[in-house]
Amino acid sequence: MNRSALRGVIGAILLLAVWEGLARGFSLPAYTLPAVSEIMAAVWRHRAMLLPAGWLTMWEALSGYAVGSVLGIGFAVLLAVLTPLRGPLLPVLMAINSVPVAAYSPLVLLWFGIGVASKVVMVALAVGFTVFLSALAGFDRVDRRSVDLMRSFGAGPLAILWRLRLPAALPLIATGMRVSTVRSLIVAIVTEMLGAYGGLGWIIYQAVVQIDFVQVWSAIVVASCISLAFFGVVGAIERRVIFWR
Amino acid sequence: MSMRGPALAMLRLLAGLLIAGAVWEGAVIALGIRPHILPRLGMIWGAVMQAPQAYWDGFLRTLIETLIGFAMGACVGVLNGVVFFRLPTLRDMLLPIFVVSQTIPVIAFGALVVLWFGNTLMAKAIIAFYLTFFPVTVNTLLGLNSVDPRQVALLRSFGANGAQILFRLQLPMALPQTFVALRLAASLSLVGAIVGEWFGDTTGLGVLLLQAMYNENVVALWAAIFCCAILGTGFYALVAWAERRLVFWGAEQ
Repeated sequence: MNRSALRGVIGAILLLAVWEGLARGFSLPAYTLPAVSEIMAAVWRHRAMLLPAGWLTMWEALSGYAVGSVLGIGFAVLLAVLTPLRGPLLPVLMAINSVPVAAYSPLVLLWFGIGVASKVVMVALAVGFTVFLSALAGFDRVDRRSVDLMRSFGAGPLAILWRLRLPAALPLIATGMRVSTVRSLIVAIVTEMLGAYGGLGWIIYQAVVQIDFVQVWSAIVVASCISLAFFGVVGAIERRVIFWR
Repeated sequence: MSMRGPALAMLRLLAGLLIAGAVWEGAVIALGIRPHILPRLGMIWGAVMQAPQAYWDGFLRTLIETLIGFAMGACVGVLNGVVFFRLPTLRDMLLPIFVVSQTIPVIAFGALVVLWFGNTLMAKAIIAFYLTFFPVTVNTLLGLNSVDPRQVALLRSFGANGAQILFRLQLPMALPQTFVALRLAASLSLVGAIVGEWFGDTTGLGVLLLQAMYNENVVALWAAIFCCAILGTGFYALVAWAERRLVFWGAEQ
């Protein structure tokens, strides 16, 4: 283990120790700050409820993430190849994007109901725009002269896209997709809180209503673990695929 | 020449908005979409005009929450960046925790913040702050680390002390990077304020959104969404304008 990683571990242990010490030492009530051990015990105690909820939320986030990434990259490719489409399409997309994504969730819930569909749509919306914007920026990043050079050798727009624009855009697309991992889970939970049949957001909402704050914390722990794992996996894939960076 | 860029961009934006509006009206009329799904723009305008005071109050309230959260996030973020730059040990210990803290879904955190701070303006500002301080910290640190050590050595050889090097060289050099994060933070702080209001409040755009949803009033819902869009775009434009003024030597994209 290298030095900075070791310091990170020490920092985490210190934080947990201070947290535990504060909560126990001042015997803080659970609604202020429950002790770490108490939260972990609650996670274990309610595992029969938290695991399926986490599974559902993760599933919603992953589906939306997949749909959003495909749509985002697809639209960016479309606008990169068929530049005349930019005039009419880009302003419409920008207008949609100018609204903070959370503001759409009430509308999406009314349109798609409080089942799984509304969460997938919301996540796809949030992820889609992030990936679209970074992909488009990436496609446009190539040197004008390189494009001209390839064209002078008789390359069509598709060849230029595949050989030149895509490799140039990949690092930016990957960054957008990595940032979106955490966001996808947050958006799924936010939408679940406004209306759902299950999931971590629903559990958090119920726990807030019942003023059960150890329960809130235990759902947060599960959500953070999922989101960390997702972030880690996508980051690892990114390092494998974009080896030249 | 200096006026041409912004004026042209403004014209393009207006044209874009007109196109978006025309597509909207055209789709609603041509496809016969019911108002329950998508109301006409005139109906939405009418909804705002029926109770302009409610929308104005909500707008102002959310704006203040956003601004306070943003300001706190920007200050703490830059401060964190400087401290982490000066004390690498502290950075190694705390930065991973910050990263993990950002994977905590803010909404869950929101429930706790509202409990800690009560249902006050401050609670929403704290949530907005929580969303904004991290990107500013990371980008400021990135900017400070990218300063050419030879320039630092040059200033030091002229007898500049640490504070002078920081304020005359390092912070200005980091500014383009910091502003990339500030633009992102402008959008994030608004999301934080809106979501924060969902935990129970009486005024604010987030409240208007929720009320419209519970009443299944799609027209009012769209009216609130438009207010959010105006607030978000306006604030973003303000930060971008400040960036052009302060980072006059060229912004990072």
